[in-house]
Amino acid sequence: MRDSQPYYGVLCSPIAPRTGTEFSMKKKAYFKADEADTGLGKFKGLEVRIGTIVDDEWDEPMGPTPMPGPTTLRSWDHKILTKYQPSYMPYCQVCCLCTMGKCDLSGDRRGACGLDIKGQQARIVLAAANIGCAAHLAHSRHLIDHLIEEYGPRTELIQGPGTEIHAPVARLVTGMRPRTLEDASIILDYCESQMTHTLSATATGQEGNWMDFESKVFHAGMVDQLSMEIADLAQVSTLGMPQADPDAPLVKSGIGMMDTNKAIILTIGHNIVPAASITDYITEKRLNEEAEVGGMCCTAWDITRRDPNAKVIGPISWQLRYIRSGKADVVVVDEQCVRTNVVEEAKKVSAPVISTSDKAVMGLPDRSDDPPDSIIKELVSGKIPGAYISDHAIVGEVAVKVALAIKDKRRKMKFFPSKKKMQKMAEECKKCSECIRACPNDQNVMEAVLAAQVGNFELLREVYHNCIGCARCESACPNDYDLHSWMVAAAEADCKEETHVVRTGRGAIQDTEIRNVGQPIVFGEIPGVIAHVGCANYPGGGQDVHDMAEEFAKRRYIIVTSGCAAISAGHVKDENGQSIYERRTGEFDAGGVVNVGSCVSNSHIAGAAIKIAAIFAKRNLRGNYAEIADYIHHRVGAVGISWGAMSQKAASIAAGFWRLGVPVIVGPHGSKYRRMLLGTAENERDWMVYDARTGDRVPTAPGPEHLFYAAETVAEANVLTAKLVLRPNDTGKGRSIKLSHYVDIHETYYGFFPDDVWKYIRRETDIPITLKDKILTQMKENNWKERRIPDPTLLKEQVMGGSS
Amino acid sequence: MKPVPWQTGEICGPDSAKALSKADVLKRDLSKSKKRLLIVGSEAPDEKHGKGDMVDYAIALAKAGKMDIIATGGAIKSFIDKGFDGAKTMGAMELAFRLQDPEWKGPHGNGPYDMIMIYGQPYYMQWTMLSGVMNFAPEIVAIALGRYFQPHAKWSFPNMKEKQYHTILDEILELVGGGK
Repeated sequence: MRDSQPYYGVLCSPIAPRTGTEFSMKKKAYFKADEADTGLGKFKGLEVRIGTIVDDEWDEPMGPTPMPGPTTLRSWDHKILTKYQPSYMPYCQVCCLCTMGKCDLSGDRRGACGLDIKGQQARIVLAAANIGCAAHLAHSRHLIDHLIEEYGPRTELIQGPGTEIHAPVARLVTGMRPRTLEDASIILDYCESQMTHTLSATATGQEGNWMDFESKVFHAGMVDQLSMEIADLAQVSTLGMPQADPDAPLVKSGIGMMDTNKAIILTIGHNIVPAASITDYITEKRLNEEAEVGGMCCTAWDITRRDPNAKVIGPISWQLRYIRSGKADVVVVDEQCVRTNVVEEAKKVSAPVISTSDKAVMGLPDRSDDPPDSIIKELVSGKIPGAYISDHAIVGEVAVKVALAIKDKRRKMKFFPSKKKMQKMAEECKKCSECIRACPNDQNVMEAVLAAQVGNFELLREVYHNCIGCARCESACPNDYDLHSWMVAAAEADCKEETHVVRTGRGAIQDTEIRNVGQPIVFGEIPGVIAHVGCANYPGGGQDVHDMAEEFAKRRYIIVTSGCAAISAGHVKDENGQSIYERRTGEFDAGGVVNVGSCVSNSHIAGAAIKIAAIFAKRNLRGNYAEIADYIHHRVGAVGISWGAMSQKAASIAAGFWRLGVPVIVGPHGSKYRRMLLGTAENERDWMVYDARTGDRVPTAPGPEHLFYAAETVAEANVLTAKLVLRPNDTGKGRSIKLSHYVDIHETYYGFFPDDVWKYIRRETDIPITLKDKILTQMKENNWKERRIPDPTLLKEQVMGGSS
Repeated sequence: MKPVPWQTGEICGPDSAKALSKADVLKRDLSKSKKRLLIVGSEAPDEKHGKGDMVDYAIALAKAGKMDIIATGGAIKSFIDKGFDGAKTMGAMELAFRLQDPEWKGPHGNGPYDMIMIYGQPYYMQWTMLSGVMNFAPEIVAIALGRYFQPHAKWSFPNMKEKQYHTILDEILELVGGGK
């Protein structure tokens, strides 16, 4: 059976969104088999229906919102969205989504459907969140169907040792403890139903209010987070990946780490299944000395989690440079973030492409039903530029055999132009500046080309280091120069030196680790948890990610990484030649740098925050979303940073964190998401909370001040990060530690003592001793008054003795 | 010829800036404006102008035109290094949002502003900032003083040659009462 076909072994009726106490925990199972050979005999046309399975071994009471529908958590969302107002920055003032348009929405105009420009912007944000959510969810569905087919629906889900609270996101959102792949499938049914609802809200004539669009953005983000958790939990349980292991293996990374004496198979994307078939084939046939696999983007993490002999070549922005280098003999693409003209690019270097996902067939002939030998023959001969093979079982054999067959011939080929040739071509440059105008980072490509006219390739080499590999400069060039190749050729020596060691993804955070750090995080004594996640659309190279991570790791914040950001963080060596992963522990502890893994592993970062509420504060998770989000928002000093955020997936990942009340910073390109979520520090009313002990409404300092913010520079991101970890629940000691770092970072990057420190002083115990004089002066100047430290909540029902 | 955005994909909707091809075109708006804000981004310290850089220009322009300065993205450090303590700092995104509040006084307490002059942020970021201002604070006259055309401003240089650009910057400085 093909992997892309749905699994029919166990089907569950879709679970309609329900709210509140009407929900009861049900799993309706349906089994159908054309033929079954059992101990009881042989059956034809067997159908088994299992009515209801209740998880009655779980004594945790069901919370108020298991499997919430699109409006179940609307009240919570509106609280957050009142505190953090959307700031829209429209790409354009028209809507062109239906044939009544185009509609001009400028000024106070409305479109033919009645929508105004704010509503339209919120609608676009929701569309993006849905696209991102769909990508992870479809990935998750594919994995679950494949793994059920491979291992059976009753296969146990195991997050790893010390993870009694496994699947915290699933518990929180659905009220279920997914124990088997079958349970995982039920949860994905829920996710799919919700995503259909939120997507449908973007249709013309559906939602009409910006706040309700935004609430659904949060819903899509939450569903995305859930589907990611299911995907990672399933692959960690079945595919031999590290299970919540702080000592996950250190693996080789970088272009220079690839052994060109071997046949090289490049895998790109996010879905481990086809890549796993390649590493399995190499192991099974003992071809480790003859062939190797390197990955880019999240597939890189997942293959190295499974097989530490595989290598992480680089982040997603490097795929073009590596393909163009010609070092990859075969390119295997799965799904998400794959360069969409990969076939054309690989063709230039005579490397066949194997596409493996029904989401990214890439125009290749479907050879899924053909015998491997015939596919191999045609790929080796070059008769076809590539093939779509949906049967992952044969991808490994085809990819490895083809790579081995064409390697020697390909190694004799030259793919980059010589410097002499580039110099000659550069003389014909039209000096039109189109390459610069096309560059998202305004790199002065033309100046570099003009320098090459006189044999100076240094500027092209500089551009290489800041290049995000989009090749828009080439598309714009009237001479059709392969400018990206020129940069890579100019930096050839640097490429060879890209030899790094990175720690592969460990998966979840253990309960025992949370037990150790939960209190210092909530009290503020570990000043924050900073997660560097997401894509590689950096404004000035990947080193920025490393530098930001190191700045806070050395201050004993906990640093978590995932995805392409995790790769970039590891691609900088210190004076001893070590990467951040070599010199710092992988434990979830102060000063640790914790790589959780691929995109879908982002769910473990949310999971860690959720588990703090369960383990440290003994809060019930089960179907109890708003209470736990409220807890995290006020007590867990976590900040997400996606410095190179590019995709809709990054948007939906961020949205999952927004609903939990966790702020997210993106790099300057993130301003193109066209909507920030911003607090207004001086609006005291926005920062009022209930004191859960008394029910009084009390003011707090503006922390976290913003929920979604594009920082212009690393300096701004660092200052903002230090500020966004402040939480109303910090103890005096914790607040003073956080403020010490904030002041120090502010003085370092902005050059002066911040003038808003007094706002964050509630009592004199909050004042860092070494800064006392300056802060006391500031307090006096601003007529500071002592404030109570509340037990903060936005939820009236959390007030002790209040309605529950 | 109608000016086009510097980054070719950054086209806009029905409303688009007018070309600031000579300083005089600002005369009318300058004469009407009462409270002006100069917004200076992180790239300004690295952009040369005359014998100094675009931070020096900002200081001169602000003094001559009696304008408040808000530095974004850490550019404040450069002002402080130059011994100028009249600038305040804010994030670019935060600033674009706060300008939409018609009662916002700003960190100097002198607002609400009826005119902004802006330069020094990454091109695309300034593009989005100005979109927020154009769409949700239409009462503010936005003048983009970077070299490259920003369609969401009211006035913007039409992707100018460097020499001509710096000449007009000096003319604008004179226009607001400063200069040679």
